Amino acid sequence: MSKETTIWLVIVAVGAINYVARLSFIALFARRDIPPLLGRALKHVPAAMLTALVIPMLVVPGSLATAPSVNPRIVAAIVAAVIAFVTRGTLGSIGAGMGTLWLLRWVAG
Amino acid sequence: MRRHFSRPAFFEGIRDVTPVLIGIVPFGMVCGIGALAAGVSPVAALAMSAIMFSGAAQIVASQLLAAGAPLMVIILSCLVVGLRFLVYSAAMAPYLRPLDHRWRNLLSFVLTDQAFAGTIQRFRDSDDLPANASYFLGGGLLLWTVWQVATLAGILVGQVIPPSWQLEFVVPLTFIAVLAPLLRDRVALLVAVVAGIAAIVLDDMPMRLSMICAGLIGISAGVVVDTVRGQHE
Repeated sequence: MSKETTIWLVIVAVGAINYVARLSFIALFARRDIPPLLGRALKHVPAAMLTALVIPMLVVPGSLATAPSVNPRIVAAIVAAVIAFVTRGTLGSIGAGMGTLWLLRWVAG
Repeated sequence: MRRHFSRPAFFEGIRDVTPVLIGIVPFGMVCGIGALAAGVSPVAALAMSAIMFSGAAQIVASQLLAAGAPLMVIILSCLVVGLRFLVYSAAMAPYLRPLDHRWRNLLSFVLTDQAFAGTIQRFRDSDDLPANASYFLGGGLLLWTVWQVATLAGILVGQVIPPSWQLEFVVPLTFIAVLAPLLRDRVALLVAVVAGIAAIVLDDMPMRLSMICAGLIGISAGVVVDTVRGQHE
């Protein structure tokens, strides 16, 4: 299967899956209560999945096995996280994260 | 449909979502650049943004496609990444249920991390349903439109942007901006720590299965903690 064929199948399938997920409790299960265990599990999905998504983006693949030097991405991510945690502001958080990354790169030459 | 439309609230939604665009524009560009780098045609790259409309799923799909992963692995990974939408849907449901089905179908389509994080407080604070729905629609439509324009910009000018800008770093940053405020809750913090450690430990798993496993381990930890705490109360 060519990459182009694969990606179109992914677009159709994931587009449908995402829409059904978004619609799920708003429309499809509107008249039903959420099963208690599912409700409890769902509550934890954002914290768990967002973390599982973000961590690999900060760590260079394979770098964990070797002696890690200070990773500017991790420092920048921590700065962004602290600002988002305190202020809840998206703008300041993303700006501070990018700014920290650029600053550390510049300092490191 | 028109009966529930409030023009001032629609424009308030647009106004309030505007600051988020500083993260969304580069993120959308990265999605366009990443799709092309994975060997996808420009038309398919645009269709990803228009139809999947999920930066996380688009990035994961591009990375797995570039790595030569099979179709079912790509779909399964995107499905797990999209579980977040079930949560947002469940949280919005009580507020949107009184609307007619056309409103619900439309608002569901523009339900994203940013639209949810940016509007849920208003739904909790105000019970003016037509205004809230219009507010959500304004913010959501702006996000969708800008997402398409940003993807197109990434496709057109992606090669011109110097790699030293490290534009791709806005992808984790946009998720951190949504994630960090959740961690004020102690159980959520524990869930994130467990999922984060699992993601690092399982890093060697092929085809980014570590992401799915780490997420499920974090969710399980949360359920276990809730259960234990429930017994003590």
